[in-house]
Amino acid sequence: MSIKRTLPTSVLSGFALSGAFVLTILQLLLQNIPKDIDRAGDSLLQLNASEGVANAVTTVVVYFRGFDTLGEIAVLFIAALGIGLMLGENERCVIKAQSNFMLHTGAKLLFPIITLYGVYVMSYGHLSPGGGFQGGVIIASGILLLLISHRDFEVPHSFIVWLETLAGVAYVLIGLIGLLTLDVFLGNFLPHDVSQMGLLLSGGIIPIIYIIVGIKVGSEMSAIVQSLIKRGDNV
Amino acid sequence: MIGFTILLTFFGIIIVAFASITQKKLADSIILFMGVGLGSVVLFFIFNAPDVALTEAVIGAGISSLIFLMALKHLKAEV
Repeated sequence: MSIKRTLPTSVLSGFALSGAFVLTILQLLLQNIPKDIDRAGDSLLQLNASEGVANAVTTVVVYFRGFDTLGEIAVLFIAALGIGLMLGENERCVIKAQSNFMLHTGAKLLFPIITLYGVYVMSYGHLSPGGGFQGGVIIASGILLLLISHRDFEVPHSFIVWLETLAGVAYVLIGLIGLLTLDVFLGNFLPHDVSQMGLLLSGGIIPIIYIIVGIKVGSEMSAIVQSLIKRGDNV
Repeated sequence: MIGFTILLTFFGIIIVAFASITQKKLADSIILFMGVGLGSVVLFFIFNAPDVALTEAVIGAGISSLIFLMALKHLKAEV
């Protein structure tokens, strides 16, 4: 009936040992607190002005960590590839009944506005919050709206393939030109003066790379959405 | 006032997340999951991270939930 249980001495001694260990480490840490902590972000923010880009986040994502962004795009490409392989083109859909009148008309009205907003977010990524990833996904959501409302609408597959291929090749080519001219992969070889900060044409290659990223992300997300919707129609 | 908004959003996110995992129907669960993303957008924006807020609004609350819904449609068709 008693809830009290006797713990074996090995467990107790284990607890005591680990407690002493944690206390020792805590004491060592508390003794050696540095006076002024030098964070990694501070040095990057100080370097930011040298590139002439108003949005510091964009400088970090596209320039200081540009190679990581290339890897992220590769990850998204592999995801699109997997979805395209699983939901392949062999099960084509038959167009069923036309969608709702409200959806039909509203999509016609909203699609240009959504696309324009996506292009704005994409091309102003170095001045204001946003950038290639967000703008590309906004454009893909506009295409999703058209796919839902217009049953016979379809982005040509070869168009998506060419757009994505050209964007990927252009990213690597810009990086290689930087490697040839400045000995750094993705080096900023175009003029980037601090006095131009805040203008649309500023920051050298950074806005160009973000637009390329936007085109690639937009085409990949459109391909994912289209293969998901078009297969869902025939069942 | 801003602290009150932050606290309200925090508890709102927790309540919506709990409601999301206790729903019987999967579609309701996905819609409530969009609510979690929406609350995070408000929090990111208050904490001076507009870039992350925009990304979360577009990807987290927007297109990933729609992809979940489309996958749910496939599941229902095949079961």
